[in-house]
Amino acid sequence: MPDRPEITGTLLQKPQYVGTRILRTEDPRFLTGRARYTDDVRLPGMLEAAFLRSPHAHARIASIDVSAAQALPGVHGVFTGRDLAAVLAPFVSTVAGRGGVRPLTQHAIPFDKARHVGDPVAVVVADSRYLAEDACDAIAVEWEALPAVVDPEAALAPGAPLVHDDVPDNNFAHIEFASGDVERRFAEADRVFSKRFHHGRLSPAPLETRAVVADFDRSTGAVTIWTSSQTPHLVRSLLVPVLGIPESRIRVIADAVGGGFGLKCQVFKEEAVIPALSKLVGRPVKWIEDRREHLAASVHAKEVISYLDIACTREGRFLAFRARYVGVNGAYQAHPWTALVDPMTTAAALPNLYDVRDVAYQIDCPYTNRCMTGAYRGVGRTPGTTARESLIDDIARELAIDPVELRLRNCIGDAPSVSATGARYDGGTYRACIEKARAACDYDGFRARQAAARAAGRHLGIGFSPYVEPTAWGSDMAKVQGYVASEIFDAAQVTVEPDGSVSVSAGLHNHGQGLETTLAQVAADTLGVRIEDVRVSMGDTAVAPYGFGTHSSRAAVIGGGTVMRAGTEVRRKMARIVGHLLEVSPEDVEFRDGAAQVRGVPGKRMTIAEIAAVAYFGGARRPPDMEPALTSTRSFDPHEVWPNGCVVAAVEVDVETGGVRIEKLWSVEDCGVLINPMIVEGQTAGALAQAVGGALLEELAYDENGQLLAGTLVDYLYPSSTEVPPMEFLHVETPSPVTEGGMKGMGEGGLSVTGAAIVNAVADALAPFGITITRTPLSPTTILALLREARERRAAPTAA
Amino acid sequence: MSAAQPSDAKRLVTLTVNGLERSGVAEPRTLLVDFLRHELGLTGTHVGCEHGVCGACTVRMDGEPIRACIVLAVQAQGASIETIEGLADGEALHPIQQAFREAHGLQCGFCTPGMVLAVQSLLEENADPSEQEIREYLSGNVCRCTGYVGIVAAVQRAARKLAGAE
Repeated sequence: MPDRPEITGTLLQKPQYVGTRILRTEDPRFLTGRARYTDDVRLPGMLEAAFLRSPHAHARIASIDVSAAQALPGVHGVFTGRDLAAVLAPFVSTVAGRGGVRPLTQHAIPFDKARHVGDPVAVVVADSRYLAEDACDAIAVEWEALPAVVDPEAALAPGAPLVHDDVPDNNFAHIEFASGDVERRFAEADRVFSKRFHHGRLSPAPLETRAVVADFDRSTGAVTIWTSSQTPHLVRSLLVPVLGIPESRIRVIADAVGGGFGLKCQVFKEEAVIPALSKLVGRPVKWIEDRREHLAASVHAKEVISYLDIACTREGRFLAFRARYVGVNGAYQAHPWTALVDPMTTAAALPNLYDVRDVAYQIDCPYTNRCMTGAYRGVGRTPGTTARESLIDDIARELAIDPVELRLRNCIGDAPSVSATGARYDGGTYRACIEKARAACDYDGFRARQAAARAAGRHLGIGFSPYVEPTAWGSDMAKVQGYVASEIFDAAQVTVEPDGSVSVSAGLHNHGQGLETTLAQVAADTLGVRIEDVRVSMGDTAVAPYGFGTHSSRAAVIGGGTVMRAGTEVRRKMARIVGHLLEVSPEDVEFRDGAAQVRGVPGKRMTIAEIAAVAYFGGARRPPDMEPALTSTRSFDPHEVWPNGCVVAAVEVDVETGGVRIEKLWSVEDCGVLINPMIVEGQTAGALAQAVGGALLEELAYDENGQLLAGTLVDYLYPSSTEVPPMEFLHVETPSPVTEGGMKGMGEGGLSVTGAAIVNAVADALAPFGITITRTPLSPTTILALLREARERRAAPTAA
Repeated sequence: MSAAQPSDAKRLVTLTVNGLERSGVAEPRTLLVDFLRHELGLTGTHVGCEHGVCGACTVRMDGEPIRACIVLAVQAQGASIETIEGLADGEALHPIQQAFREAHGLQCGFCTPGMVLAVQSLLEENADPSEQEIREYLSGNVCRCTGYVGIVAAVQRAARKLAGAE
């Protein structure tokens, strides 16, 4: 075993920057239009590509005639799936080492049939995007429509039409898990509560769509790929077998990226197609996805149907959880995480912070004729939490126990513990965060206000959703989330340059998280230099050490950890130089504000620049056994890290229009040592806003024929500044015992649980009407339908 | 519909951008945002949806905020266009840009140029907007990262700066 768990990096005793609201160093280039996104890359001789995509959910391609397109002026090539299969190996997607999973081999562009609206069937390379789209219009495809597989549960039934002819039951995976004696607990329980919850289908929908530029150099056999990605090294590694180019000859650059939210931690077929086109036409090729393609053909997420049973005592003590999850995949597998990224992590989080030892679940992951599903911030937790927390509120109402009290009654203790699904919690403030949230929202005051409003015919509601959540994905976390063979880490290089300025290079990626700032804070406090003297760079595999990129709330913990480790080595080396020159013990050398000071001897001092000059050019003045360069590259693969918190939503529901107005959201979070509270709050605010969209507005609806009904932003509704409510952020700081610096990850919790809090608040508001919420999003139409059904149930004599 | 020869229809478009006269070639169908980005090399203006919803492509035309993805380049003939590249004074950020930085009003930065220009128009029309007025004015500029918390705070801060109060 490598030294994975060992904590070896140290911040200085009195950090100057960590913990402060320092302004972001990367901001000026974004504010002035100088940031370089992929569409801003312009190369000599560059051509542009456009894809022809299927208008059908499921249709056999009887023939394709590209001759008219090929003949148009300005067109340099038209390629079908077969043409590309000659130069590109297929992607093979699976969860390695996991039983019950059937690997899928997928070609970059299919050539037998289209399996969802937006599935590519051909690609054109032309002088401009305008001409490439003209040529797409000139391609003649003869389609034979096939019955579409739309209902995910019917897809699993015998005799259903098949999405892939070699997957006889349409099921990518069937997984079962049991811990304890679940059936006995259910048999013995006073009460059993059950619910089917259908979470809506969402898109991460970053404002910048996907984008790829590739420049294959025939003279060297090397390719440079600019791509809007969260994970440049992962793109490079996973393209090796597909492109057949050695890893050393693939350079992936992800400069500015306009939002990712998990979508861009997948490696897409288009990221292989564009380099292949550059090789085929011998010129650089650019592809910029349009919004319709993005909504129809990137990844969808979070549509999971949960069947959840909770056994409990009449006092509301939970005894056992039992669940079946149907992850509603589309037609393919998002590479490399696959469609299991939602249902498998939903299941792994089933007990969460509730003290339940008897837990069982089953997972199915059917193919349907939809866009494939993949990662979106808070993978799995959003649908699973919404189902569980909504059922817990149902139980509270049924047992007439206060919902906050019910949660506190079943909450785990603060000490590190192992959950029934095998998660190793590193300790936290599980109850305290719920209590702090209850105090922050003036719960008793709200209840009084709610009663008064009800008397006046207005419907206010409040909902809670506490959590513990997986962050900082290293190898242990990936395994406990179900990726049983995954090894994940990150590396960073810290260099004190000859002039004393500091360069930090990391295999992570910065696309809004403020990572250039937070890593500079950590580096400055590890080395004792001024933050202005630190430059952090990421996003270019030719420069950065290997890494797995930024996703899964891992960048601050793992990036911070690698920088602390490497920086500590460089600082120790500098201390040795100072000790050698000033004839003192290196242990007595302190670093601050860009200088080394011998403790207690004011005159004995050297600047970092002076130390660097000796290290690089000092020859015999250097300690005799020391190499010149002041640099270190270290990696970090932490144990499991589990921050916790609680979100509260207060809403008012208009029972005439079905409209939900969120009064306010509160977020209490314990993510360990805060590097930059301003950035932490910014991340939380963004996650809460996305949850507002998922709970109330956004839905990638399909009709019964598999037609996508939300192909534009007029149909897929982003929350705007008028829908996102005021928010309040509260922090608790419990250092993690298992990470460098005590940091825990954050950034996803808000999206993982706020939907549940909103659903519970709406249900609370409408409690007098006797409604039960079983799906999201809660559009006005859905709310009015719930109210109508409840009215009809009451009016009808009890038939069933 | 046949794909007619677009090259035949190309024409010269001349307009003022950030105070300088600029010319370039455009087809009648060329979007203003594509013209600015690809013909004039002003890539600070971004494209988010190409159907006039997200606001990422917001620029100012003759002083009014517009969506450059639903305006044709030929419609801007002779107009005066302001883009994000023209806002800062040399190395000194404009007070609105400063306020966005100080209030953490940006994360990935993709909506930021359009958002900042929309805010410039808002504050020209209303020097001291309420939070509700800010939220309503900016409701056509989507930000997927910030939850608008930092943006609303940035506008309030920018208003104070422009009024000389900060």
